[in-house]
Amino acid sequence: MTARVVREWLLWLAALAIVTAALLSMRARLNEAHVALAFLLVVQLGAARGGRWLGFLLAALAFLSMDVLFLPPYGTLAIRDPLDLLVLAAFLVSSLVAAQLLYLARRAAQVGERAQYLMESHRAKDAVLAGVSHDIRTPLTTIKGLAQSLARDGDDRAEVIEEEADRLITFVGKLLDLSRVTSGTAAPDIQLNEVEDLLGAVAQRVAGRLGDRELVFHLESGEPLLIGRFDFAETLRALANLVENAARFGPAARPIELRVRRMGVMLEIAVHDEGPGVPAEERERIFDAFYRPARSQPDAGGVGLGLSIARGIARAQGGELTLVAGAGAGCTFLMTLPAVSVEELARMGDGSS
Amino acid sequence: MSRPAEPPATETILIVDDEPQIRRVLRNALEPLFARVVEAATASAAIDMAAAERPGLVILDLGLPDRPGVEVCGEIRQWSTVPILVLSARHADHEKVGLLDAGADDYLTKPFSTSELVARVRALLRRAHVAPVGGATQVIEMDGLTIDLAKPMAKRDGITIHLTKTEWDVLRTMLRHAGRTLTHQQLFRAVWGNSFGDMQQYLRVHVRSLRRKLERDPVRPQLIRTEPGVGYRFETDP
Repeated sequence: MTARVVREWLLWLAALAIVTAALLSMRARLNEAHVALAFLLVVQLGAARGGRWLGFLLAALAFLSMDVLFLPPYGTLAIRDPLDLLVLAAFLVSSLVAAQLLYLARRAAQVGERAQYLMESHRAKDAVLAGVSHDIRTPLTTIKGLAQSLARDGDDRAEVIEEEADRLITFVGKLLDLSRVTSGTAAPDIQLNEVEDLLGAVAQRVAGRLGDRELVFHLESGEPLLIGRFDFAETLRALANLVENAARFGPAARPIELRVRRMGVMLEIAVHDEGPGVPAEERERIFDAFYRPARSQPDAGGVGLGLSIARGIARAQGGELTLVAGAGAGCTFLMTLPAVSVEELARMGDGSS
Repeated sequence: MSRPAEPPATETILIVDDEPQIRRVLRNALEPLFARVVEAATASAAIDMAAAERPGLVILDLGLPDRPGVEVCGEIRQWSTVPILVLSARHADHEKVGLLDAGADDYLTKPFSTSELVARVRALLRRAHVAPVGGATQVIEMDGLTIDLAKPMAKRDGITIHLTKTEWDVLRTMLRHAGRTLTHQQLFRAVWGNSFGDMQQYLRVHVRSLRRKLERDPVRPQLIRTEPGVGYRFETDP
């Protein structure tokens, strides 16, 4: 017990003593109700200020002094009128209940304050992120825009400035994505979505970034509808990351394959490239933020954030992202997402089948 | 779709951004191509100039010091149909949805390339000068596809495509705003007249069947594009 708590308890015990003395001096003019209400007031105020246990102690002491000092015969625990017993019992129960209720109310208020505090700090963080994002993107926009106009005038050094600005832009974007995904402040917007629609959007997003590599889709034909419950924009971001990775590490002129099927209650989206693959000891570490394989060329592009962002996105919506150890060359990333069955859709009255 | 003439280079373009450097980049990119560029640094100046200058296009930055961009958008929309291109340094989808619902025509995320900017500006100006699709005689022809909204009739390589009434309604709405991203809510309201139930699911079902019928490869749609987290866009130059 801290000194502050001891003082609080002593204060309320003294208050009880004073009230008792005051009541005692006018005992002749009082009935049980006056006494009970006065004591109840002390017990409740004490419980509100000093907590549940102080409330219980005050209730017990008030109970005793009421019995001994205010209910005849005075000076003993005995009671003359059986109805007085009822008064005593009612007093004890109501003061204990009041102490407990006050305690709970105080707890709830504290929990609410903490939740509010957490929410406010999340909001503050989002605001800082948005601000940083704005503060970094605005000068980059200027640099990029002026470099472009210099390049139009025929200065080929300006193209390098633009490329480097683009690299910074990508990096900043990924840092913000990572922070957003790992902090969990932005809840995913989970909707029913078709994988087919998602693949179309992936093709659109990565168009022009794959060089001479073809993006090939394999959709399981037995399934009439591959529909899942996921955040479309976030999942698109994750998949585009995986496809761009595949393009970065896969050999030129070889296709990148995207294969989708349903496995039980999950959808599986596999992204396969025919690159050098990942050695077994690195299969988990490549998902760490900023991790770069030991053998990777220093300028392979990317800063080692894409995979941790993609995994964060998959997990935030109840899925997973892993690297599958497959036979043969290359590398297969497997993303799972919660699936919706046709029967389930029919029950929802979707009417799409 | 018949190729409309380039917009006249007499348009005034209003640039609204509180950062002088960004205004300079925008001016640099647009001034050689269009007649006149005027600038505003605050929301209130922007609203005044939009009224006084009668610009052919407004480029509006969201991070203005005095008022949120959505409000500026909504205010200009109350009395003007001038195309509004929004610039944003954030890329939150819900923000885009809010802007489009407030009447913005298109948005660009900073940092953008100036060629992208010029392309968007051209497309917006061109659309503003073309009579809206959906008139009595409007026929669209592109890539082997013929759509006659008046009859209504659709053909792919001479073979008639049968569309349901709802599919026609969705298609008509998209074509009326061809090239422009329509939010789920805008599309839904235009087709069903109100918004109830799960809009995105209704739309998804009908867009899916439209793609099955109209697209050459429905998995890689060229006509009806998905704008992730925002809505759909009918592409006029697939």
